[in-house]
Amino acid sequence: MTAEGIFEPKIIGFLCNWCSYAGADKAGGMQHPYPPNVQVIRVMCSGRVDPQFILSALVKGADGVIILACHPGDCHYKEGNCRALQRHSMLNLMLEQLGVEKERCRLDYVSAGEGDKFNRVIHEMVDTVRALGPLLLTQESCSSDSYDVPNTSVPVP
Amino acid sequence: MKIGIYFCNCGSNIAEKISSAAVVGAAASFPDHPYVEIVDFICSEEGTLRFEESLKSEQPDRVVVAACSPRDHEATFRRCMANVGMNPYLMQMVNIREQIAWVTEDPAIATEKAISAIRGAVCRVRLQQPLEKKQLEVCPDALVIGAGPAGMKAALSLAEAGRQVTLVERSPFIGGLPVRFEELFPALECAPCMLEPLMGDLLHGNAAGNIELMTLSELVGVTGFYGNFIAKIRQKARHVSLHECIGCGECVEACPAGTRNIFNSNASERKAIDFAFAGVLPNAPFLLEDVCVRSRGDECTACKDACPMGVDVINLEELETVVERTVGSIILATGAGLYDVSKVPGLGMGTFPDVYDALQFERMLSSTGPTGGEIVTAAGNAPSSVAIIHCVGSLDDAHKPYCSGICCQYAFKFNHLITAKLPGTAITHYHRELVVPGKEAHTLFQHAARNKNSILKRYDDIADLAVTRDGDGGLQVSAKGEGTPADMIILCPAVTPAEGAGTLSALLDVSHDSFGFFRELHGRMDAAQSSIKGVYLAGACQEPMDIRTAMLEGMACVGYTLAGLQPGRTIEIEPINAEVDETHCAGCRLCISVCPYRAISFDTEKNASRINAVLCHGCGTCVTACPAGAITGHHFTSAQIMAEMEGVLK
Repeated sequence: MTAEGIFEPKIIGFLCNWCSYAGADKAGGMQHPYPPNVQVIRVMCSGRVDPQFILSALVKGADGVIILACHPGDCHYKEGNCRALQRHSMLNLMLEQLGVEKERCRLDYVSAGEGDKFNRVIHEMVDTVRALGPLLLTQESCSSDSYDVPNTSVPVP
Repeated sequence: MKIGIYFCNCGSNIAEKISSAAVVGAAASFPDHPYVEIVDFICSEEGTLRFEESLKSEQPDRVVVAACSPRDHEATFRRCMANVGMNPYLMQMVNIREQIAWVTEDPAIATEKAISAIRGAVCRVRLQQPLEKKQLEVCPDALVIGAGPAGMKAALSLAEAGRQVTLVERSPFIGGLPVRFEELFPALECAPCMLEPLMGDLLHGNAAGNIELMTLSELVGVTGFYGNFIAKIRQKARHVSLHECIGCGECVEACPAGTRNIFNSNASERKAIDFAFAGVLPNAPFLLEDVCVRSRGDECTACKDACPMGVDVINLEELETVVERTVGSIILATGAGLYDVSKVPGLGMGTFPDVYDALQFERMLSSTGPTGGEIVTAAGNAPSSVAIIHCVGSLDDAHKPYCSGICCQYAFKFNHLITAKLPGTAITHYHRELVVPGKEAHTLFQHAARNKNSILKRYDDIADLAVTRDGDGGLQVSAKGEGTPADMIILCPAVTPAEGAGTLSALLDVSHDSFGFFRELHGRMDAAQSSIKGVYLAGACQEPMDIRTAMLEGMACVGYTLAGLQPGRTIEIEPINAEVDETHCAGCRLCISVCPYRAISFDTEKNASRINAVLCHGCGTCVTACPAGAITGHHFTSAQIMAEMEGVLK
């Protein structure tokens, strides 16, 4: 919380080295400010982002996680971003089962040239999580009572 | 553990927003209480020297550089680490310029964010391990598959650079498709004359000793990987020694058996032992075993007896052989095929003898072809009207959705050659689109457009066209009911990959697109590289292509081979890759299914996956996919990533 009482969420951003990390650098070069709430962790490929990292981030105090990948078809490693998308869809189902709003975990695509888009996505993510409020992981939210298997099919990696 | 944080002010770029004093203060509470050193421009010559001096005197175990983006200077600081004898992978950068100072308005908030980020890097760097680049001995030689323009250019250039080249060609001759043509677009150059110097050098030039040409051969197996492939090549029996035959043709005269000649589109006869066509190189005949009377039990030795060069030139007992060659790279130059136009109904292919595909017509135009270059109908008359139908199967969702790129140009070449040989012939071009790109193609197009005996007619759908007999027994092309007589009809089929490309694709694990063309590693950046490291693509096996581009691609493949594989030099294996712990691998093979580079194989004896470090690109997708956690992604281990995350969240 800031002094004014506005909730300032902590967000972890997993950025792939080739597109979105470069896009964040591009946004830096443009020097248009964006909210400071996202701490960036660089990975070589969004396909390296283990759903466990995301769960762990939420448990360890993050209010949200954003994964930024190369655009579909542009992955430096051909299809790592597709794996990231598959895992993200599965994780979202699981987060809902755990009582965590799926908006707290967003996957988006930012290319090396999209400094503007990076800036916009960070704004949106921070606004979204700020509106959701702090993530309170209680015993209740993890209890089996709220466990409800959704009737959806998801791609398996 | 002693950790050093090097904080770069970057002039005022960072200092303006992030207080180094606050970082120094906060660092005292970081794990292992790192020391902090403030530098003004750490990437400058002076800065790097100071960095190195400090590393030498402080002797830290791990180093954090808080400065600009690692995409700018990670390599610079790794080099500094190596210069002072430290392992470069014991350093972690924090991007406090592009991603904090330049984008955070409030200096207090920027400082707070930078402190968290540096804390994360300190937590991460403690877990980083020294990594070594491994060296691998490589074979600098190459295998080239296909002796058309692209393959010949590649083979000869590599041979001239001193590399041993195995040139494997499926047909009995070299030169690919164009050597069968008389004249080429865009400049009406004589094709055999244009290719002759290249083919001559390949067979008899100064570098020919470095080329092992294997005709009637194909690749049947490959093991190994970039730098060390072992290729298994099957060579069918030619029954004629390429080295001893003088190409006199006495054996051909003597041969009692005959058949249709497939290399003249079956439009002429050949003997069981014969040349593919006149003027072919290598200038030696080959024996068709199933046509030879010996296949029916006769003890004929007429060809062998007729040979003036002795009894060793023709070997009627010769068997096919399989040989192995070790090569560092493989260049695929298997060329183009033509779409089977009989799949496009209503155009009379196979029904009317005077409907030809473009290759058949090229042979008719050729002085070495079935008519000796004369344009004649099946009845033996010069046609007074010719229809040329472009885009047969191209730009057509029912067949091939792509433009074949070269057809318009050779169609207008046909126009020119027909008009030159038979002035006054009425020529109608039916086209869906017209494609005449570049600075040269317009000449033949304009020639056709200005030809007063030519008409260009556009059609929307090939189904609107029909080839039928007219009332006088001749042919006519009707377009939406409007008939135009044509004594001869030439179809320009879609260009496809050559037959057998699919087999090669499976053999080499090289991916292909839905049309069967080999897929590039990257369509623009690495268009001559396949998805498999060390397997390169040249020519029309990759997409429809003219000779000029095919030759250039051949040279591109040469460039990759010469740059990547040098005699006496090892290749460096990037240590940021993945490795399987065999004792933890459950053998589920999920990793194999997600690897985009086919870098993972399965060791059935150990019941464990194994990653080839040469082929691994270090993306880490398999690391995440492994349900047993048996794969380590070096320099991006789960523990390192988690530690960084916890560090920034603290």
